[in-house]
Amino acid sequence: MTAILETRALVSGYGKKRAVHGVDLALNAGEILLVLGHNGAGKTTLMSTIFGLIRPMEGQVLLEGADISGRTPAANVADGIAYVPQGHGIFKTLTVRDNLELGAFSETDAARTRERLEQVFSLFPILKERAGQVAGTFSGGQQQMLAIGMALMHGPRVLILDEPSIGLAPNLVERVMEAIKTINRDLGASILMVEQNVKLSLPVADRAMVIKTGAVVYEGAPEPLNDHVRLMTLF
Amino acid sequence: MDLLLQLFVNGVINGAHYALLGVGFGLIFATTRIVHFAYGPVFTFAAYVAWGVSGGLGLPIWLGLIAAIACAVGLGLLSYLALYRPLEVNRAPPLAPLIASLGLYIVLENLVGILFGTGVRVVDLDYGIYFLGPVFFTSIHLWQVGSFVILAGGLALFLRRTRYGKAILAMTDDPDMARIIGIDTFKITLLVFAIGSMLSAVPATLILLKDGASTHMGFAAVFMGFVAVIVGGVGSLRGAAAGGMLLGLVESLGLWQIPTEWQQSIAFVVLYAMILIRPEGLFSMARR
Repeated sequence: MTAILETRALVSGYGKKRAVHGVDLALNAGEILLVLGHNGAGKTTLMSTIFGLIRPMEGQVLLEGADISGRTPAANVADGIAYVPQGHGIFKTLTVRDNLELGAFSETDAARTRERLEQVFSLFPILKERAGQVAGTFSGGQQQMLAIGMALMHGPRVLILDEPSIGLAPNLVERVMEAIKTINRDLGASILMVEQNVKLSLPVADRAMVIKTGAVVYEGAPEPLNDHVRLMTLF
Repeated sequence: MDLLLQLFVNGVINGAHYALLGVGFGLIFATTRIVHFAYGPVFTFAAYVAWGVSGGLGLPIWLGLIAAIACAVGLGLLSYLALYRPLEVNRAPPLAPLIASLGLYIVLENLVGILFGTGVRVVDLDYGIYFLGPVFFTSIHLWQVGSFVILAGGLALFLRRTRYGKAILAMTDDPDMARIIGIDTFKITLLVFAIGSMLSAVPATLILLKDGASTHMGFAAVFMGFVAVIVGGVGSLRGAAAGGMLLGLVESLGLWQIPTEWQQSIAFVVLYAMILIRPEGLFSMARR
């Protein structure tokens, strides 16, 4: 398998403080790679750096082998990377339709935008039913669906999800995980997903890695992480 | 009763003026979170440039207006690029742009004095005077209301209907999220500085025609714009427009019972009352 997205010895952080210490990560084309780790392990910093919200201090980010380190989010979006930040990345004062249309901001082909809007609506029918509603009035689960829907609006090759289950009831988490699997299978997006909800996210993952204090401590098949004792020692 | 009617009409005229300033100042503030106090002297500069072209050179006033718009847009963009942008890039604390803005205010206002002199400058223009029953108004007053309706309406359409308009709304809602979906927030910032500054040039030119231009005229402009934004609710342009209109009406109708020398204090009273009673403003972000 070839890696679509890679980091090589990536070091990153805020100001002078380092939160990610030389992470090597490879997301293979077509897979769901799950990144686990406790609070403060550096997961969000790692994702933000890959996406270009934070400039790496050292190391590289590669998209299909080309160095994209430090490139702006706008350039990354245009190149097919989408990012759903932690805590429902939506515009709360705008309607669902406005949010979805903004998700396609970098897409200039109107026909393609309409097509993707239909895709998102068939994936999350609630968004179609409530297209005119102000997004801030949505429940947490609906906001998360909208956030993922927005990310799909420019047809990403790589989808980065930062804790899509955060703050959601277990049945909603299952619904969101199912949607993520569908996006991967039917829309062909390779998915890099950060999670803390080990139980519900492991079943959808093709591979998993565990990060502890900014460094990778496990990488491989997700199944062994079902072993509670093993996972606890890694955390 | 006639007096009250006249005061009401005056209130609408002044309200439209404040509302337009509120919308221009508020657009920059809501989108970039920069309290651009130098909006005041940009307004002054625009008025003096319009005077230079129409009063000094004797060219038609519409050419003066175009020159005023060009000047305001240029100064607005320059304010951001030369002053606020470097602070942003260097991650300066939020108070730094505010202080810088006050500094720029002083520099620009003094520059106006150096370039154009400190006296009042007027443009001789024949304008219409109308009576509607007991109510008196001029064609400039009509333009003040008309320009507000046209420009605020046009801006609302632009924001709701166009791609870049929606990008401005997105950035107003959440600048980080705007970057995440691929909006170039630097470009959008330049766009709002250009539009916001352009909006100041129109009332500036109209005030030049109505009262003449003076070095310190920018203070009232930016102050009223600022109060309109706070009264209306930070982040809401509809609020800024409503806040400006309310301010104009209260200020004018207040004269019915309050001596004229107190008129200027009314804005402060409205601001104080609003902060006390409803600090989130008439239209908070969620209600927009």
